[in-house]
Amino acid sequence: MTTAETGRAVGPGLDRVDAPLKVTGAALYPNDVSWPGMAHAALVRSTVAAGRVLDIDVAPARRAPGVLAAVTHLNAPRLARGPRPPMIGAPPAPLQDDRVLHHGQHLGIVVAESPEQARHAARLVRVEYEPAEAVLDLDDARAELLVDPWGLDTEHGDVDAGFARSDVVVEETYTTPDNTNNPLGLMTTVASWQGGLLTVQDSTQWPSNVRTTLAAVFGVPESRVRVLAPFVGGGFGAGLRVWSHVLLTVLAAREAGRPVKLVLTRPEMFTSVGHRPRTVQRVRVGATRDGTLVAVEHDSVAPVAMDDDNVEPVSHSSTFSYACRGIRTRDRQARLTVPSPGSMRAPAEAQGNFALETAIDEVAHALGMDPLAFRLHNHADDHPLLGLPWSSKALKECYRLGAERFGWSRRTPEPGSLRDGRDLVGYGVAGVCYPFIQFPCQARVSVLGDGSAHVRSAATDIGTGTYTVMTQLAAELLGLDVGRVRFDPGDSDLPYAPPAGGSGLTGALGNAVHAACRRLVRDFCDLVRDDAASPLLGAAPEEVAVAGGRLHRVGDPGRGESYADILARHGLAELGADGRSAPPRAEDLGMAPAGAFGAKFVEVRVDAELRLLRVARVVSVVDGGRILNEKTATSQIVGGTVGGIGQALFEDTVTDPVTGRIANATFGDYLVPVHADVPDMEVLFVGGPDRASATGTKGIGEIGLVGVAAAVGNAVFHATGRRVRSLPITVEQLLP
Amino acid sequence: MRPFAYTRAADPGQAVSLVGGDPRAAFLAGGTTQLDLMKDGVLGPERLVDITRLPLGGIVHDDAAVRVGALTTMAELAADPVVRDRLPFVRQALLLGASVQLRGMATVGGNLLQRTRCRYFRDPGVAACNKRAPGSGCAAVPGVQRMHAVLGTSDHCIALHASDLAVPLTALDAVVHTRHADGTRSIPLTRFYLPPGDSPHVENVLRHGELITAVEIPLPAWGTRSRYLKVRDRASYEFALVSAGVALVVEDGVVRTARVALGGVGTVPWRARGAEEALRGARADAASFRRAAEAALAGARPLPGTAFKIELARRTLVRTLESVAEESS
Repeated sequence: MTTAETGRAVGPGLDRVDAPLKVTGAALYPNDVSWPGMAHAALVRSTVAAGRVLDIDVAPARRAPGVLAAVTHLNAPRLARGPRPPMIGAPPAPLQDDRVLHHGQHLGIVVAESPEQARHAARLVRVEYEPAEAVLDLDDARAELLVDPWGLDTEHGDVDAGFARSDVVVEETYTTPDNTNNPLGLMTTVASWQGGLLTVQDSTQWPSNVRTTLAAVFGVPESRVRVLAPFVGGGFGAGLRVWSHVLLTVLAAREAGRPVKLVLTRPEMFTSVGHRPRTVQRVRVGATRDGTLVAVEHDSVAPVAMDDDNVEPVSHSSTFSYACRGIRTRDRQARLTVPSPGSMRAPAEAQGNFALETAIDEVAHALGMDPLAFRLHNHADDHPLLGLPWSSKALKECYRLGAERFGWSRRTPEPGSLRDGRDLVGYGVAGVCYPFIQFPCQARVSVLGDGSAHVRSAATDIGTGTYTVMTQLAAELLGLDVGRVRFDPGDSDLPYAPPAGGSGLTGALGNAVHAACRRLVRDFCDLVRDDAASPLLGAAPEEVAVAGGRLHRVGDPGRGESYADILARHGLAELGADGRSAPPRAEDLGMAPAGAFGAKFVEVRVDAELRLLRVARVVSVVDGGRILNEKTATSQIVGGTVGGIGQALFEDTVTDPVTGRIANATFGDYLVPVHADVPDMEVLFVGGPDRASATGTKGIGEIGLVGVAAAVGNAVFHATGRRVRSLPITVEQLLP
Repeated sequence: MRPFAYTRAADPGQAVSLVGGDPRAAFLAGGTTQLDLMKDGVLGPERLVDITRLPLGGIVHDDAAVRVGALTTMAELAADPVVRDRLPFVRQALLLGASVQLRGMATVGGNLLQRTRCRYFRDPGVAACNKRAPGSGCAAVPGVQRMHAVLGTSDHCIALHASDLAVPLTALDAVVHTRHADGTRSIPLTRFYLPPGDSPHVENVLRHGELITAVEIPLPAWGTRSRYLKVRDRASYEFALVSAGVALVVEDGVVRTARVALGGVGTVPWRARGAEEALRGARADAASFRRAAEAALAGARPLPGTAFKIELARRTLVRTLESVAEESS
């Protein structure tokens, strides 16, 4: 096997390769795009949650200055619904009938010369409704209830017998609210039809799917659609699906005969691009007096929008989080007249982990056991359902190291027993077992005549560091300096890539890049093997190593030559190779493919009289397999932790109970943590390369967020004796 | 945003006559609230009269008062040495409000005239808002109530006055100086704001075209200690859930004078005269402070979503009184 001897490209905290572009403003975000002749669009949105549009009058808008086109369901063409890829689905096509299915639904799009003119004109559109009663609550008897929507409900072992022999049973209901993704970059689409070619620049996490969807919806061949997303101003899941506004912009560009740009407003971001759906979860946990879990039951209900699908298996991670002989999980979805929920960073896990890890804490307390010791005692050494060993798992090490760095041994067991001046102090812990999610992926790697390399894939970097780690990985595998490798993602014309989501892209793309690089080096070996002019004449690929831009004989760096020399001698401008990856399967491996694992330790302070809660300290220890770049990986965990603090303390998308309107759809009213809310955070990685992945990585894009809310809640209990089972944890829940 | 005409006023007289003579005109100062409301379609003035170049800035001191030009920014007032030394709770209220960027733009006059943060008021897609569309009803009462008022409310409106600065200024009996078409007048801040009653759209006693020119802040007696405490969900850049502004003179453990106002609870900045009476002459101790806090919230009308504010406001006021008393001892 060919080996790389330039191992230092991967691992150390290399600065982001795209940082200079970003800090100088040269990175072209969709917001920054301006194409010749470009017009601007604004949306008309419904002000009722349910009913029909009786009349929609665009005449006043059409008369407003600068207006070029206005499209409503009255003049929109029939649009097919896009394909529904697994895990993500597709929202219904807009403007296909007069039905109103949620407040804020797109009822029309207005195109004008300037964004200000478009917005002004959109406000002039008069809509007359025949309102119907909104169905807004999960427990509304009128809501259609979808039972086991994805066939993931689980019954493992004899759960009822487990409860029967339990010495302690905790059964509680936990609730989490709607949260809104809110990437800082307002979602933007720019569309242009020219010469039968549709070009779109979009704030997407999945260019390949935008292309496939637009081709299907607008009835054009995929080869005539190109989707660009070289930079995206954050996603957090909001850019996974091809939302209504993307289709409307493409439609508006066709109607106006001009390139059209639509930038969603912040309030529109709350109703147009998905959100983490609220949940009501009932968790029942049984244990014997010696601290052994014997039964876990986890039921969840979450909303799904009318006519929509969304995969959010909230309870599912409870099937593999702990060693337990009786496990039952059930998911339900209630169909409501609300804006479409969708994936938001750690979909399902963010909510499910809060319920399970709070319940686990409650059982430990009921048993009089240290909550960390209880977790370790019930550690799942094998996958509980499959009975197979994990492809990697260092969760025990996460707990051990985290406890040491945090100073868990200073925790006094009794709630309310730690004080510092006016503050009640609490320590809390939560564990995380992140699911393994991955999709097939392709990449192409070329070495050019100057000996530099070019890596291409239709993937996006939504700010996670994909540019950097793929550059590092290719540099290592080809034996090049990082500065000699260029990674170009974000173009649907490039080899197919799955979404930047599910913590799966680094693994999927990394393994595709890995395959391409290996094949490319082998192709170089093949070129020189019979080449009498080469010092590598006669060398088998396994006798060849790469370093310093050269191929050389293993153990003899002097005997070799550079990529550039080989290409020049063979009259080649470049040599390229394709690579692909597919997710491993447990039955092939004889192992359960593992996601990341983590332990979160949190210290909170609660003002004894004012009952104000602040997070004082967070220690996160993560088993993310092989870490390609400690700096960007740490940033992922830090950013996730801030999101977790937001989920724990602040984030709450409030729906007006009467009208179904989002009541706090601005950054002034929807609270996310500010710097002053973010405490000292320590991030540590443990574990080694994962055995199910050629590159050894495991996804770490979401695990930083998961577990923070439960650890905060558990720490609040320790500080105050008050068990909070409803997020966010606000002052009114802590006042007497 | 609706198209509008823009005029830069040459002098205060012209500004007053331009706005006063046109019912669809409005003054433009820092614009930090006004432009948001125009973009959101809540306000639609057809003419903006820019007063930012008028000579209405500057801070003048004498032994009795600080006279603050209406165009003084929040940042400038917070940096004033007399404010820092003699009116610490005014400075605290300023620096706990908004953000660095906003404090550099927002004016003191504009701060007093800021509109409510009520999201039902701020979204013209909501039909029922008596403040925005008189007689249309109130969507907040049956809606999401958490950030609304518990004092001074009516069945027609529960919208909060969210200014931090107005809390200590109300406690201090600050006076608003104005200019209008017929001359000038001086209005005590305690009589400046109008509770919603059955006409929530009328928020203060100003007439159309009347311009705030200055705010006069009386200096409290030497020996006064003051503090502004703001309680909110997150640590910064958020309006108050509740706040308290307190100025006390404590001698020998007894409260000699007390000025108390609350924020985050009232439809107008809330002067807590009941609390002041309870404190005057009382021992500066926990029992007195709790009695004062009970008195301050007397008459509060909570809704389910705002009920927590009453106890939170009491505790916040007790904490504020304690910290001022500690400083005094």
